[in-house]
Amino acid sequence: MQFGIFTVGDVTPDPTNGRAPTEQARIKSMVAIARKAEEVGLDVFAMGEHHNEPFVPSSPTTMLGYIAGQTERLLLSTSTTLITTNDPVKIAEDYAMLQHLADGRVDLMMGRGNTGPVYPWFGKDIRAGIPLAIENYALLHRLWREHTVDWTGKYRTPLQSFTSTPRPLDGIPPFVWHGSIRSPEIAEQAAFYGDGFFANHIFWPASHTQRMVELYRERYAHYGHGGADQAIVGLGGQVFMRRNSQDAVKEFRPYFDNAPVYGHGPSLEDFSRETPLTVGSPQQVIDRTLGFRDYVGDYQRQLFLLDHAGLPLKTVLEQLDLLGEEVVPVLRKEFAALRPAHVPEAPTHASLLAAARREEQRSEQQEGEKA
Amino acid sequence: MRERNLVVVSAGLGRPSSTRLLADRLSAAAVGAAAGLGVRLTVRVVELRDVAHELMNHMLTGFPPAALEEALDAVRSADALIAVTPVFNASYSGLFKSFFDVLDGDALVDKPVLIAATGGTERHSLALEHAMRPMFAYLRAVTVPTSVFAATQDWGGDGSEGQLRGRIDRAAGELAREIDRRQAATVADPFALTTPFEDLLAG
Repeated sequence: MQFGIFTVGDVTPDPTNGRAPTEQARIKSMVAIARKAEEVGLDVFAMGEHHNEPFVPSSPTTMLGYIAGQTERLLLSTSTTLITTNDPVKIAEDYAMLQHLADGRVDLMMGRGNTGPVYPWFGKDIRAGIPLAIENYALLHRLWREHTVDWTGKYRTPLQSFTSTPRPLDGIPPFVWHGSIRSPEIAEQAAFYGDGFFANHIFWPASHTQRMVELYRERYAHYGHGGADQAIVGLGGQVFMRRNSQDAVKEFRPYFDNAPVYGHGPSLEDFSRETPLTVGSPQQVIDRTLGFRDYVGDYQRQLFLLDHAGLPLKTVLEQLDLLGEEVVPVLRKEFAALRPAHVPEAPTHASLLAAARREEQRSEQQEGEKA
Repeated sequence: MRERNLVVVSAGLGRPSSTRLLADRLSAAAVGAAAGLGVRLTVRVVELRDVAHELMNHMLTGFPPAALEEALDAVRSADALIAVTPVFNASYSGLFKSFFDVLDGDALVDKPVLIAATGGTERHSLALEHAMRPMFAYLRAVTVPTSVFAATQDWGGDGSEGQLRGRIDRAAGELAREIDRRQAATVADPFALTTPFEDLLAG
């Protein structure tokens, strides 16, 4: 099981003092958070892509490339990469470049984006969100797997004898997750390709997440990639911890009450009940997170949202200490003990490369036996 | 007897409220009229006051809290609807509109709906025709011809009881006939795939 964090990169004033970081301070703090994630033993750092205020991460490969240069082990990912408004040709090239520089420590999460105005800024129509996600990904999938591509589609200019460069590292395309809250077409897309499915989870009730993951698992098996329980599932989560749970609630409440997206809406208590948000002690986070397995089955990746709503960097780093020292080690052990042997881990560059080599040897052996 | 279900949406704010009072009289009349046609109606009342905070939370967060989700599901799977609101400033109340704002756009397609309202004087009665009926027309519901308005006068004035009673019975009869001529409602699964992936890929 992989554990990590995902960030949306919002620049939000701290409601306790009204101060907002500069964009540069926020961008640098995201780098510090990624480095800390590696230091405390987490596996994944994922960042969103946004093209509107108050969010700063418009250029994920620039930031991830910089983080790749400052880390050694951390897997770098996105949450999400906009497969609708980005050119799939540029995604193929940008992330292959990142993959080479990061020695394979890269995967991606595809998403459609949730802010209507962004589509026309990039010359697209939000009403075509699903068809764009389907066509663009189909092209991206080919660009990483076929050297020379001839292609015609509806949403970009045709390609003739095109080779995207650099080619994926070791001929292994980055592993892809598809993120969606409730579009069955996206769960189906993930299942069709045998890719991972990521349920954002954090703003939504468990029942929605459960239905979407069930659909993806069922269709994964339908397309012959393995058993339904062997499908590759990731989940989001959102936590705030202090040793004493009352302290956590007291400290987090002003941030919750003023947060973008849900601020000035439901109470902290209601939102904690309706969604996976957990505000309390490390033990409460452990118990709640283990409970996710009850409704999605054995899964492969758990990402937490920690840095948002104006929380100071110092506080976020303290959260990472608690997560890395007290929460994740227990979760690793408990999830591993519960997981049956036939349920795979999430694919990584190393595991995909090893599988490709095994496959090569097997076919060489077969050739030899024939001769 | 065939089984059908009727959902009553009441946007009254007080407890007790005259809006709920009107809603109850309408649903009792509808149950009676339906029984006369061989249809047993099960009634479920949704008091919007009970989910008022949830409605605003849904608008701010994008998902319905459990109690509201249950109410929305009840409306989606209803065979018929009775919708009653107080008239505020010449139209339905904001609470009433908010509920239909978060309901999916095609949830009421071809669903029989009886519209009704309450207000201080009978001079507000056209709010039913210029505000409520167009909204349900937009949602492609089948609104029965008779709408029912109850002013304060109707609850106490001389001779008004007979008039209100007559309108209630006429509207309930119209609703019962719409229920009677239809198959039981079916609800589309929002998580079901409607297009095969091969077709999506083909563009």
